[in-house]
Amino acid sequence: MNSDQHIRSAFDRDLEAVQALIMKMGGMVEAALNDAATALTQRDEELAARVRAGDAAIDALEEQVQSECARLIALRSPTATDLRTVLSVMRIASSLERCGDYAKNLAKRVSVLVTMAPVGGSAGSISRMAKSVQVLLKDALDAFIQRDADAASNVRQSDQEIDQFYNAVFRELLTHMMEDPRNITAAMHLHFIAKNIERVGDHATGIAEQVIYLVTGDMAEGDRPKANSLTAEEA
Amino acid sequence: MNDMRMENRVDAQTVKIEARKAQVFYGTNHAIKDVDVDILDKTVTAFIGPSGCGKSTFLRCLNRMNDTIPSCRVEGKITLEGEDIYDARVDPVQLRAKVGMVFQKPNPFPKSIYDNVAYGPKIHGLTRNKAELDEIVESCLRKAAIWNEVKDRLQAPGTGLSGGQQQRLCIARAIATGPEVLLMDEPCSALDPIATAQVEELIDELRSQFSVVIVTHSMQQAARVSQKTAFFHLGHLVEYGETGQIFTNPKDPRTESYISGRIG
Repeated sequence: MNSDQHIRSAFDRDLEAVQALIMKMGGMVEAALNDAATALTQRDEELAARVRAGDAAIDALEEQVQSECARLIALRSPTATDLRTVLSVMRIASSLERCGDYAKNLAKRVSVLVTMAPVGGSAGSISRMAKSVQVLLKDALDAFIQRDADAASNVRQSDQEIDQFYNAVFRELLTHMMEDPRNITAAMHLHFIAKNIERVGDHATGIAEQVIYLVTGDMAEGDRPKANSLTAEEA
Repeated sequence: MNDMRMENRVDAQTVKIEARKAQVFYGTNHAIKDVDVDILDKTVTAFIGPSGCGKSTFLRCLNRMNDTIPSCRVEGKITLEGEDIYDARVDPVQLRAKVGMVFQKPNPFPKSIYDNVAYGPKIHGLTRNKAELDEIVESCLRKAAIWNEVKDRLQAPGTGLSGGQQQRLCIARAIATGPEVLLMDEPCSALDPIATAQVEELIDELRSQFSVVIVTHSMQQAARVSQKTAFFHLGHLVEYGETGQIFTNPKDPRTESYISGRIG
């Protein structure tokens, strides 16, 4: 890695600016996930509405990151680490935007779920899952800003815990649905929520892989560990 | 690093020029230190590096241009297709017919456009009659992508052309002796962007016939035209590799600093 200053200081300013935007975006996505999960357990429709409304700001920020990056490529012709920084910033922005969409979708389903009877303790399990994913996302972004490939590698390894979490929730919801078919609508919503949170975990892994590419110049090698223990009939 | 651009893939693996432990001294100044490099055939190789790093000096070793500088001494071994070019039996004039050169500033002879190109084949006795000579002149001017602009005024002086046309005329002159290697020392630094683009396009076409070695201060140009890039710094060859790799993921921190604009 190269931490020396550019001869052209405006180049450094531009690079720092897009990275600051990414961190801001990351903070907003983490908050959205957190709030959506809280809204789920607290059955707080108002909070869910705020999360839904907040997604527009995340989308706008993503657009800004992409156009700033395009401008940087056009005007500064970045090479080596600088080029990899710009490329990873663009990909991370897309991932974060997607995560924001999942948070929004979670909040939407919360608005439906509050009108139905709670399905056992599933909302609590899912909320805990959401909070672990949020930590994973935070760790991936910290690894990015600190250019820490080892930390990114840890994030990549930890995604299997989220997968395990998801598998457990899946079984739990299946049990509730078999016990009482009146739970099916709510359980289906909860299942989509769990699946979306699991997807956020995959995006966190993707961000971690971008960090590894940024630091080492090589794409992360080998299959990442997956805890996919669902049998064919379950999956 | 896989280069996705098909036409830019390094497909020829034959080594044309091989340098081992090449050293150049200007008097007591050690300008080139222990350079080992394999220049591939039918490939554009770019030499980049800050001013005074030795890239032009090394380029000039490849056709013994440094012989013209009295204080200059070259050590080590440089071979062209396995033959030591510094061997006492090698005639530098014959060598330079095989290893042509294009300079920074266009320097056409103060002769007609026709004679500029015909000069080399004439003195090397490459043609038997006027018809053959005409043919060589036309084909070289065509290869240098300037034929259409000059075909109606072949007897006009070469110096009357524009800068970009003069440079392409010099390229036509350089390839008229049927060289195997073409050395170019900042061939576009005196040209405007359009003429630069034409010369770059030409370099890419010439690659199918020769090995091209280009010294350039423009890293973007190196990235655009070459398949292999060598980075020189303080007389050392710091890093030599596939151009895509050098510009996305250089291995040496000095290369990284230079190409990303951090050291001069």
